[in-house]
Order: sequence, then structure tokens, then C-alpha cells
Amino acid sequence: MKKVIVLLLLAAFGYYLAATFFYIDFGISHFTNGVRDYYLAHTVNGLSVANTVTSIVVSFRGFDTLGEVTVLFLAASALGSILYKRRHKYEERVVLFPSSRIVQAGSKLLFPAIILLGVYVFIHGHLSPGGGFQGGTIIATGFLLMLLAYQDYHVSHNILSIVESMAGILFVTFGLLGFIGGGTFLENFLPVGELGDLFSGGVVPIIYILVGFKVGAELTGVIYTVLNEKDI
Amino acid sequence: MREVLEIIGGIFILIGSIFLFLGALGIVRMPDVYNRLQAGTKATTLGGMSLILGVGLLEPDWIFKAIILVLFIGFSNPISSHALARAMYKRGRFPILGKGENMDAYREVYDKNKEEEVKS
Repeated sequence: MKKVIVLLLLAAFGYYLAATFFYIDFGISHFTNGVRDYYLAHTVNGLSVANTVTSIVVSFRGFDTLGEVTVLFLAASALGSILYKRRHKYEERVVLFPSSRIVQAGSKLLFPAIILLGVYVFIHGHLSPGGGFQGGTIIATGFLLMLLAYQDYHVSHNILSIVESMAGILFVTFGLLGFIGGGTFLENFLPVGELGDLFSGGVVPIIYILVGFKVGAELTGVIYTVLNEKDI
Repeated sequence: MREVLEIIGGIFILIGSIFLFLGALGIVRMPDVYNRLQAGTKATTLGGMSLILGVGLLEPDWIFKAIILVLFIGFSNPISSHALARAMYKRGRFPILGKGENMDAYREVYDKNKEEEVKS
């Protein structure tokens, strides 16, 4: 019975997917409604952001990014709640043997460099490839290095959740300020500046810095939770 | 000045590419983990460093970023391959020794640690 229902659902899903593709004529450019041209024209002239992808992700489609960040937050907290009962005591992290002194000393040297690279990537998100999600991931890898090198290295879950919540609240606050100042949610209300400057693009770099903080804190929490999982 | 820098940068890039190629060849040709690691690590450290330095010399605006990258490779590459080699040894994969060679100093430490582990 269950299998029949699943097959029916899959058939319906496949039918609608295929119907969408049959609706688009083969070989014809279907971006005829001007969205592409609007994005390309307003990225440089309206927002003065050098990276078109960033301007679409943060400004034109900023509400979707808020959804993405929320999905990531939900995934991280679900993982934490599932693994909560299986968590180790602090001394019993799952590692086979402690790292050597070379790795410990080296990771102390490399950790600030990795954090600096992550911060650089998300601060320059509106000028160069990369942005909040990528920079946050780089920061989380720095914490992963420290957690693997030192068995007694601990990240405070309270600080992580404070950083995460503050970033999320400020994201929504800037969205609402855009609603007040510009008319729509996440509309730009700050001066845009010169194309190519670090301080340009209005609200775009601020939002991406907040996304970077949020993603970095979330992924660090995920890594910490998984590393402290009990082996059953 | 610019032409001289371009020539020097080109030479650096050439040296880097040669070493990277030799490293890749060594990873294919060498028999076991440790030989592959030493081929891969030494060659890619020197190759990557000189390649990035050459790019920095070709584009003088990027020289500071290039120097930072060179330092980063100089730190991270040896440390990571050290960790790999150590992990392989701890998992019990020992280097291939030729006939008449029995010099494996780390083996004694490893066996001693293993005995203590069994006792406790």
C-alpha cells in the first residue's frame, strides 16, 4: 500500500516536472521577460556592486537568502537535538590518538590565518568571488583544525548561539529598515558609493557580513556536535 | 624594470611547473604511502611556492598576497603530510624496507607504545 502511494506521488511529481519542460520550447531563449537584463543593468548602476551573483543573492533575491539561512539554522539545531543524548562527556572526544606536537604548534600558527582568510572572503563578498556562505565555511574549517589538533579545545555553545541569533536578528532588522526606508523588504537605503570601493554597495556588504557570522557559527556548532558524538 | 621582472617571474613559473609535474609523476610511480608522500609534499611545496611567487612577480600589485600565500603553503603543506604519514603509521602500515635495511627508528617507539597499551 505504502509503495503504491509512493509510486503515485512520484508519478504525479514526474508528470508536473515533465510538463514544465514541455511547456518551454526547445532551443528558444526563455529569459525573455527582462529579469536578466534588469539584474545586469541595476547591479552596476543602481547598487554599484561588482559581483552580480552577490547582488542577486543578497539584494534582489534577499528574501530567499533569509530562507536559506533559516534552513541551515533548522538543520543545525535538529542535528544538535538528535545527537544531544548521545553526546560525550567533555574528555571523551572521538579521536583515535592525540595529535603530534608538530600539528598542535602548526595549527596554532595557521588558525588566525584561516580565520583572517574567512573574514576577508566575506568582507569582500560584493567585490570578488565568494561571500558570506563561503567565508563562514572557511571559518568553520579553522575551528575544525583546532578541534582535531587539541583534544581539550572547547567552543562555547552559548557564545555560538549568541553570535548566531544576533546575526539573524540584525539580518531581519536591516530587512525591516529597508522596508521603512525603501518601500520593500531588504531594499537598499544606504548610499551606494563608488563601484569597486570596499565601502560601497549600500546594504549588500553588511548583510553578507552578517550571513558570514551566522554560517560560521552554525557550522562550527555542527562540527563540534558531531565530533563529540558517542560511538555506539 | 617591468621586462626584467617578467623574465624572472617566467623562470619561477617554469621551475614551479616542472616540480609540480615531477611531484605528480612521483605519486603515480612510487611504490608505497611514504614514498608517495615525500614525492608529493616536497615537490608540491617547492612547485607551488615558486609558481605563486612567479605570478606575484608578473603582477607586481599581487606580490604581498603572493608572499602570504607562499608562507601559508610553507607552513601547511609539511604539517598536513606529517599528519598523514603519522596517521598511516599508527594504523599499522609500515614503510617498505629493502634487503639488508632494518633502520626504522620510529618502529621501536611504536612497539613500546603498543606494549604499554596492551598492558593497561
